[in-house]
Amino acid sequence: MSDTALRTPFPERAGAALKDAFLQEALKIATTKFIDLRKESFAGFPQGEALRDRARAIKEATLQHLDVHLERLADNVERLGGTVHWATTAEEAREIVLRLCRDRGVRMAVKSKSMATEEIDLNEALEHAGVTPVETDLGEYIIQLAHEKPSHIIAPAIHKTKGQVAELFSRELRGEFPADPEVLTAVARKALREKFLQADMGITGANFAIAETGTVVLVTNEGNGRMVTSLPRIHVALMGIEKVIPSMSDLVVFLAILARSATGQKLSSYTTLVRGPRRVGELEGPEEFHLILLDNGRSRQIASTLREALYCLRCGACLNVCPVYRQIGGHAYGYTYPGPIGILLTAMLKGNESVRELAHASSLCGACKDVCPVRIDIPRMLIELREHLDRERIAPWSERLAFKAFRRLLLSPGAFRLTARAGRWLQLPFVREGRLRGLPLLFSSWTRTRDLPPVAARTFRELWKELR
Amino acid sequence: MAARAEFLERIRREVAKTPGLFEAEPAPRPAPPSAAAETIRRELAERWPQALDRFREEFERVAGVFHRAPRFTAVPAVIAAIARERGARRLITWDPVALGFDVAPALAREGLTVAVARAGQEDETSRQRHREEAARAEVGVTGADFVLAETGTLVLLSGSGRPRSTSLLPDVHVAVFGRDRLLETLEQMGVMLEALHVEPDRAMSGAMITFITGPSRTADIELTLTRGVHGPKEVHVVFVEAP
Repeated sequence: MSDTALRTPFPERAGAALKDAFLQEALKIATTKFIDLRKESFAGFPQGEALRDRARAIKEATLQHLDVHLERLADNVERLGGTVHWATTAEEAREIVLRLCRDRGVRMAVKSKSMATEEIDLNEALEHAGVTPVETDLGEYIIQLAHEKPSHIIAPAIHKTKGQVAELFSRELRGEFPADPEVLTAVARKALREKFLQADMGITGANFAIAETGTVVLVTNEGNGRMVTSLPRIHVALMGIEKVIPSMSDLVVFLAILARSATGQKLSSYTTLVRGPRRVGELEGPEEFHLILLDNGRSRQIASTLREALYCLRCGACLNVCPVYRQIGGHAYGYTYPGPIGILLTAMLKGNESVRELAHASSLCGACKDVCPVRIDIPRMLIELREHLDRERIAPWSERLAFKAFRRLLLSPGAFRLTARAGRWLQLPFVREGRLRGLPLLFSSWTRTRDLPPVAARTFRELWKELR
Repeated sequence: MAARAEFLERIRREVAKTPGLFEAEPAPRPAPPSAAAETIRRELAERWPQALDRFREEFERVAGVFHRAPRFTAVPAVIAAIARERGARRLITWDPVALGFDVAPALAREGLTVAVARAGQEDETSRQRHREEAARAEVGVTGADFVLAETGTLVLLSGSGRPRSTSLLPDVHVAVFGRDRLLETLEQMGVMLEALHVEPDRAMSGAMITFITGPSRTADIELTLTRGVHGPKEVHVVFVEAP
């Protein structure tokens, strides 16, 4: 992740996003559209709810024997003539790809969209090593040309206008292109078609990997996933260890809900099942297939707080419904994975320290849990994460102090009564239009972005006493 | 090997620490898959007309174009018409064996240039020639191994005489299929996938299975739906009525 973005604290990053008028408009339109498409798609699909339960159970069952499934997957990939690599850290994963490039004289690698490669900052590493990485998902291609980062898991460039894209393409691809998505898409098609045919290596992630058959599954709409796995002589797939599922019967359960959750489609345009390198008799397909299994902090959570986050399918549904994401967009989060699930994944990959601010970037409204295809209880884990931050003394001292005092207050009826009474007087200078605003001192950071109801003229306790 | 052993040992250790969040099982498997697949085929032999109607509805919903031909010999005329309407002159097709019939001679008679990806030609020269032909072709003609009504999906197995790119590189993809390829649901497709993998090396000569649901699409620029970003701009099917 670019360190420049992280040098500014989260409230400032969020503040900047809130002042960006185009971003605000783009976020509203995009997230609302995704929400509607998803809703419509599940409305006409009564078996969807049961399938979500089943999908959740499959993820849980797989985790309970993750070692067995990974071993089976690796054995089967090798039996098919593929090579399996084991990467405990992001650095190891990068090193594996770079070594393959070096040993095989790879000059250019075409990539289909993969959050896992974003997670390990693969592009920067490839560039440093003199290998040109070319992102081929249209959204990823746009942000690669603009030297930016994805702002949404499935729509990486929603923060850019067609005018900005036209300007970018005109400059980078030398031409005069109008701000017309149709034309711009055709321009990218032409530019990238050449790359597909020239590249030595195709790099992909994996939406699923099937242990029993050694199959890697890619879900795309544009067809770049197919290009990347069909045309270059080497295919490298990088996947987090949690992407493994037991069998083909499990796969169809996920396929039935994944695209519906992401874009409201029944299925994405292309689902590609790859079973190792090309076989004897095939005119096309890679000579070599490499599967990199990436841990990078995941296994630590199998028996820990964030276990459920390992169910995540990366569909992006929780981003669209999140009142925080809808306001600030993906960049303000500052890491590879934005949105509610992104906070948990960031804690998983980068440690709790990295989310000391982000852990609070949620209203705990629970909308994310409602739309998650595998019903991940994101709010519960966010609360537990906040507890950890407090216990590990990672949270700022002022916050810890305030909550400690608050706890005291709630535990003692006498103190609570006294405080309420005192509050009634103390609040007077700060009540405006019936709301508490602009509190001083420790409380100022609370009311900077929100207001509070004032202490009532007569408290519930007082009313209760009279009624009795 | 040390890396693998160490890696798996770490995961084994973590897995052993917890019974998990709740009792859970993976999806139930058809047993035995080949028999379950046979049952589905038998049922579809009766119900295919409804499946075809549903397929057409869903396929058109994802912008597919549906054609019919009474028998295989009538298919080249349909393909030639599609090509002509788009001013396309160069076609590429799967091997006649994979396609179920030889489409090339009739198309050539219509004045079109047809490259055939012959099975059994996989030397480096053929490979290079095929790649150039595939990259130049404007229309790609394939079969479909399964046709999924519920989602409007074509499922294609790659292999000898059935290159992956025929349905990918040309601007227009035309898939030809008969009633025996129809399935109703994704769940049935799951059974077929299980059956294919009982003895995968005998069931499939290639390493890729592709599900195609409409043309290539994107909405990455201001959420404007645009077709044909990398793959075909149009997908057509020709349903052959004669069994």
